[in-house]
Amino acid sequence: MSEEIKQEKKGRDSIDKVWDFFTSLKLLIFLLLVLSLLSVAGTIIEQNKPLPEYYNLFRPETVELFSKLGLLDMYHSWWFTSCLALLALNIIACTMERYPFILRGMKSQQVVLDEKLEAGLANLAKMKYNLPAETVEKQVKAIAGKDFTGRPVVTEEEHARHFFYEKGKYSRLSFFLTHLSVIVIFIGAITGSLIGFKGYVNINEGEMISSVQTRKGETRTLGFSVKCNSFSVDFYDTGAPKDYRSDLAIIKDGKEAIRKTIRVNDPLSYEGITFYQSSYGGFPDVTFEIRDRNGVSRGTVFAPFGKQVDIPGGIVRIEVADYQEHFHRPDGSEGGPAIGVNIYSAGAPPEGIWIVGTQPGLNRDGTHSFVVKDMKIKRYTGLQVNKDPGVWIVWTGCVMLVAGIMMAFFMAHKKLWIRIGKDKKGRVEVTTGGTTNKNKQAFSSEMERLVRSLREISEEVS
Amino acid sequence: MTNSLLFGISIFVYFFSMVLYVSYLAFRSETLGKICTLALLAGVIIETAAILLRWYESYQMGIGRAPLTNLYESLVFFALTIAIIYLVMERKFGIKTAGAFVTPFPFIIMAYASLNPNEIQPLVPALQSNWLISHVVTCFVGYAAFAVSFGVSVLYLFKVNAENRSLKQAGAFSGHLPSSDLLDEVGYKTIAIGFPLLTIGIITGAFWANVAWGTYWSWDPKETWSLIVWFIYAAYLHARITRGWRGKKAAALSIVGFMATIFCYLGVNLILSGLHSYGGTT
Repeated sequence: MSEEIKQEKKGRDSIDKVWDFFTSLKLLIFLLLVLSLLSVAGTIIEQNKPLPEYYNLFRPETVELFSKLGLLDMYHSWWFTSCLALLALNIIACTMERYPFILRGMKSQQVVLDEKLEAGLANLAKMKYNLPAETVEKQVKAIAGKDFTGRPVVTEEEHARHFFYEKGKYSRLSFFLTHLSVIVIFIGAITGSLIGFKGYVNINEGEMISSVQTRKGETRTLGFSVKCNSFSVDFYDTGAPKDYRSDLAIIKDGKEAIRKTIRVNDPLSYEGITFYQSSYGGFPDVTFEIRDRNGVSRGTVFAPFGKQVDIPGGIVRIEVADYQEHFHRPDGSEGGPAIGVNIYSAGAPPEGIWIVGTQPGLNRDGTHSFVVKDMKIKRYTGLQVNKDPGVWIVWTGCVMLVAGIMMAFFMAHKKLWIRIGKDKKGRVEVTTGGTTNKNKQAFSSEMERLVRSLREISEEVS
Repeated sequence: MTNSLLFGISIFVYFFSMVLYVSYLAFRSETLGKICTLALLAGVIIETAAILLRWYESYQMGIGRAPLTNLYESLVFFALTIAIIYLVMERKFGIKTAGAFVTPFPFIIMAYASLNPNEIQPLVPALQSNWLISHVVTCFVGYAAFAVSFGVSVLYLFKVNAENRSLKQAGAFSGHLPSSDLLDEVGYKTIAIGFPLLTIGIITGAFWANVAWGTYWSWDPKETWSLIVWFIYAAYLHARITRGWRGKKAAALSIVGFMATIFCYLGVNLILSGLHSYGGTT
């Protein structure tokens, strides 16, 4: 053996080894196991929480270690993604390894029941009839045609006629469907994460936005505007929200393109971007009556949300800074709607107070009290905004997967051979035999049933 | 007549059918066998009526929703599907002695369900969707199939161990159990029913999540655990189909798979938090 050939052989050996590694069942089982264990870890350590929550749960060193290892966002870590990539390679390699066999199983058909085939068939039966060959053939075809609806392949020989029936040939393709579907789903997911984005936006009632905040913290312009015409929410008697909805309009080049009321489970899509009803909230514009220490009114003031306003007769400025629909008092009781007010007095640090329900709010020194006279709540709708061009690829993969699994479990490639010839005494002799690639037991009883009805012809007629 | 009364009756009927199946294991009279099946069937009919009544009552209360939305409702549905799948398998494979190993499930699950709050609660907006029924039904029929496979696999291991321990006495008790080959086959067949259903359940869930939240997969603990369960049964099927894993190894994997299923169903709701929190007790 020359040096060169040896080298080439060595090279081929190692390629073979790599190939064997990627096509091995062991790799698949190992990957499924590792992915499962890692996923378990990911459900025990809650993922993608705000950092302070981890510091509450674990010691600082632990949080730093977890963060370094990627354990806080592990499903996107390089090692988890690598496992998924290996799984994809494993599936692709196995598909490449198997496809010649599958195609061969579908193509090369023996259509003649000869002695060699006869020897290898498990479900073989022979019947003899004292009837004309034509009559037998007609009946046999009628009976076989009940199970095998396709046209048989007929081969004429000197002493016999052969009929070859087959069913569910394409169920062999289920292997490709199931395995490639996983790859298709991966491609869809990658497409989505490369070209798509996920973001959110709050729109005040009556207002319009044309950009959203992505989860990565970037601002993304939409290329059109979204207006929230109105927002409403219904409650059950228990106080739980029953339905909330936003009347949205898409405005493109100054014209209204679409108008739709969206609710949870019923989003709006435009130019590949989808708006999902996700949350809601509100903030108030409040009219306060200001009273002094003795309860004497000093007049009223209108305080729009988030704006510092002067109060009558005072060196004091106030700002409506927060609002809660269901305020919980320190003792845990429900106080109804509450307004958070910041009070800025000259020469003193600012202070914040809650004005709960109809109770007047007092400042620290008790020099001023604030009574809510009127309140207009400006509602906003909270929308999840997504663009995911990969989602249809993912659904295609899912359909392939389900179709493939159904075919794999509930369909089989069945073949039936029938030979009609003559025995030594000149009687008509029918030989039948069949094979299948799945569920051999059920197929055997199917064949038994077939043979039984074939035997019945002879009894009835003769 | 209220749904809780009917549910209460069905618990008793399940209990009696369990007792009957266990006594069938001891006496094996044909008449007794027939009574066993009829008792279990009666349990199924009563429970189905209870579920339908609960559905109807929810409309009367002005809530109007399928009774498949919280822990209590999922438990009773789970019990029902286990009983149905077992009955189908019993009819198809004639494995009546396995009943003593499967019928405790509907009873125990119903009894556990009765400890949970069972008022008909209105639905939060996220659950108001046509996907609810297809998602929950496919998932739970899948789970139930895995439960039957688990029961049959435990019986398989029990039988094989008994045979190995005392070949001479094998005829005494375990000889009357279904043959180990048949148990192995039923264990596989039920997984072959459960796996496609779990797959469809995960996909309908993903589709629904995409409509409701804008993400088809967010690695929420429930999603992740359902994927783990899917991995385990995928491994089972690959090992069985390509490497011919049968018998003890297959039974062991089926048991592990069902443990993961139970954690996916109950463990995630009761221990971990996430998007499926409405399935929990509070």
